[in-house]
Amino acid sequence: MIQNIIVVGGGIGGTMTANSLVAKLYPEIVRGKARVTLISNSPWHYFKPAFMYVAFGAYYKNELRRPQASLLRPEIDFVLDEVEGFEFKNSRLKMSSGKTYDYDYLVVSTGCIPSPERISGLKEAGDHFYQHDPARQLYKKLSTIEKGRIFIGVTFPKTPNVPHQCGIAPVETTLMLDDFLRTRGVRDQIEIVYTYPTVSQLLRNCLFLQKETGEVLPSIFESKGIKYKRGFTLASVDPDRKVAISEEGQEEDFDILMQTPPIRAVDAVINSGASEAPNDEGWLPTDRQSLQLEGYKNVFVMGDTVDLPISKAGGSCHNQSPVICNNIAGLMRFGETPAEYDGKVQAIGQMGMDVGMPLWYDYDEDVIPTPPSKIGGLMRKGFNRGVYWSVARGLV
Amino acid sequence: MSTESTKVAADQSLEQVLKTIPALQDQATLDGLSDLMTKAAPLIQGRRLHNILDLLAATSDVIEMSDDAMVQKLMALYENAIGTTWAISNALRYAAAQAAQDETPPTILQSLRRLNKDEDARRGLSMAINVAAEFGRQAKAANGPMPED
Repeated sequence: MIQNIIVVGGGIGGTMTANSLVAKLYPEIVRGKARVTLISNSPWHYFKPAFMYVAFGAYYKNELRRPQASLLRPEIDFVLDEVEGFEFKNSRLKMSSGKTYDYDYLVVSTGCIPSPERISGLKEAGDHFYQHDPARQLYKKLSTIEKGRIFIGVTFPKTPNVPHQCGIAPVETTLMLDDFLRTRGVRDQIEIVYTYPTVSQLLRNCLFLQKETGEVLPSIFESKGIKYKRGFTLASVDPDRKVAISEEGQEEDFDILMQTPPIRAVDAVINSGASEAPNDEGWLPTDRQSLQLEGYKNVFVMGDTVDLPISKAGGSCHNQSPVICNNIAGLMRFGETPAEYDGKVQAIGQMGMDVGMPLWYDYDEDVIPTPPSKIGGLMRKGFNRGVYWSVARGLV
Repeated sequence: MSTESTKVAADQSLEQVLKTIPALQDQATLDGLSDLMTKAAPLIQGRRLHNILDLLAATSDVIEMSDDAMVQKLMALYENAIGTTWAISNALRYAAAQAAQDETPPTILQSLRRLNKDEDARRGLSMAINVAAEFGRQAKAANGPMPED
């Protein structure tokens, strides 16, 4: 009997996993014993990290997206539809189109959704760079502001020890902003204030979610005249007064509020009833080694949808994907899950417009910060402009 | 992320400076340096290390000269090459696997009938003819008769 493997989500995690599954299970696929299907609600695949650059005037839309089907091996059935209901107990998906899909193995890689509406006034008065249109809107403001105050903040999920989207992004964009305003010649008239909330995963009153990196940030910010402030957890925004109000009882005025917004899982995941996350955030309870959904051996979770203390970023997917492929192959061939995820994440931090810092960490070891360099910057640019698409194809 | 550096006071001799570098007060560092010098000596004596330094300098120059536009062009080339190779190898692998599934290959008439019915197959043939036409155009452009200036 043919084994149906369905990957839900056409982001980097789902795309590379579907491609890698075909490579891993090719003997079964070519004999008609296994079939890989990828379901996505978009005909386009977006390189999401590029939205950060859009906020600084880089990347036209067609430079940061490709037709989803062009990134998939021909053995993959690509279905353009949206999952409306995950029936984990019945191993079945209900689609918006009315169709149903039964699966033997499922990979949930549905990402997360920036939800500024979850903080009063933030959607009206705040900006972010985690989606294309908001990033364009932010660019319009950043490219025209002549003087004033840009206030930067970060919102963590309420689920304990779960990070916000792409941990290093707020630091990256703060440093890029400094460069951008200097190039525009208006930096002296604009105050940049970087803030961090009181609780950031397991740390308290810091400037970054990992201790060592947080400790080097003050000297970097001071060298660039960037102000910084700990213990500012955004509670609400007053759009009329242009004031950000914190849970700690402080008020800060702004001309531009660049806030990493609250995030949540997609509706179908939240409505599946499998999540135990507070605040209706919807993160799926995921085994930190095997990456199986707790209670369901044939369901795997990856990327932003997990409830693990690991960055919600492509660098996590890159290391989770081979584990999931090996475990699905192991279950099909021997009934075992031989591979274990060690929490590894790697990336090249964009620490200014032209410099980069390769970084990696896992469950046990935090990032060891190194001096950002021009070579690091070139590596990051090279990844953004070309290597990323090879990663999506499962080639790198 | 901080860069460690040792500041040199004015009017210090090289010997005094070397004494202030903590790493050089470690015997393991000195042993390592001694090994390195033994290894590098023939290269220095034969002026061959000069080439390595020139190579480093040239590499550094390339890094300094690489701007956003150059990276974009190089990576477009990379993606073109990888993407095209990937698409061709996918098509060959998939087509070979499909062909191998037929116990008896289709007759020429059956193949022609499929070609007539299968829109993708016709599109493939159309593309192959377009590729042949483009090769022809390029062959003429590059090698055809040219008038004298």
